[in-house]
Amino acid sequence: MSGWDHRFEAELLRLGVQPGRARQLTEETAQQAAESAAEPDGLFGPAHLYARHLVSELNTAALPLSGGEKGQVRLRLTGVGKRYRRRTVFTGVDLEVRSGEVAAIVGANGCGKSTLLRICAGLTRPSTGRIQRTRRVGFVPQDAGTAGWLTADEHFTLFGAAAGMAPRRSRSTGEHLAARLAWRPARRELTQHLSGGTRQKLNLVLGELHAPDLLLLDEPYQGFDQGTYLDFWKQVLTWRDAGRAVVVVTHLLHDLQNVDQVYDLGAVA
Amino acid sequence: MTISRPWLHGFLDLCLLAMLREKPDYGYGLAQRLAAAGVADVPGGTLYPALLRLEQQGLAEPSWHPSESGPRRKYYAITPAGRDELNAQVAAWEVFRGGIDVLVAASTEERR
Repeated sequence: MSGWDHRFEAELLRLGVQPGRARQLTEETAQQAAESAAEPDGLFGPAHLYARHLVSELNTAALPLSGGEKGQVRLRLTGVGKRYRRRTVFTGVDLEVRSGEVAAIVGANGCGKSTLLRICAGLTRPSTGRIQRTRRVGFVPQDAGTAGWLTADEHFTLFGAAAGMAPRRSRSTGEHLAARLAWRPARRELTQHLSGGTRQKLNLVLGELHAPDLLLLDEPYQGFDQGTYLDFWKQVLTWRDAGRAVVVVTHLLHDLQNVDQVYDLGAVA
Repeated sequence: MTISRPWLHGFLDLCLLAMLREKPDYGYGLAQRLAAAGVADVPGGTLYPALLRLEQQGLAEPSWHPSESGPRRKYYAITPAGRDELNAQVAAWEVFRGGIDVLVAASTEERR
């Protein structure tokens, strides 16, 4: 194998591709280069970048093709608006998200994306309009909601208890979900000593711990590195395929290839 | 003229499936057919991931064949699911093309 192949395979493994599959993709990629009688570097570009491109391309495979059946409505906003004293943040928001769907809320800073998501979660009261939502909701705030003096395991137990789960089951579920984001919580480590990115992983795990029907995520990847970021979107697609409804607040436009509908809050105001 | 990158991204699956319905082919052969049709010079870094994706989605089925010269080749054939998807995408494409034709025709009228 050439140096390029080695670097390609190493990056695939780093991105969480199973070793057997990584080897297969590496061999096929070498063969494809040979097919067109070219050096892999010339045909595909730098090994690590092509590995990332390939992984994100393959991860979109879970997208439903040309429509497909949509499920039950999990969230419906009708004419929702928010005013603080004289200032109108937004008005007339209509949004319907069904199970098996991902919706993105986009818009410039300060247009009220987080406020709208809190209204979806029932944490903030709208000034106008009506909200209907399913009972089991998971909410992942931007960066809050964890307690610095507790460990990850203690969070799992606490949040699990709030949803009526036994401590052992909460812990094992939490650890399982963390592993999917390439994170192994250390037994005694306090949350205040975790990095920002890892705290966000904890937030994500807590939002999903009780298997909600509707997941509300407020830019949940702040501080994630590239690999984790891909894991995150893979996770979103897994939720969708499992029939969850997902709402993501985001300002990253390249995320939008993964979603079923986009609500541009900035365009309404 | 060749089509711009973002456009190609949206229509690459449609083009690949259509070519595979005509006959099974391997990556480099498909690239040449796309170029010969005047659609695009598709870089390998775009083409091969797209083929792998079609394979993973069960829309195309690979098989290895020896070639007269050099290494063996991975040929792709369209699957029944691939035919269904192609039909759906062709229908969507015709609506899209019809819409653009109307807009372009209206603007040409305007200039006269």
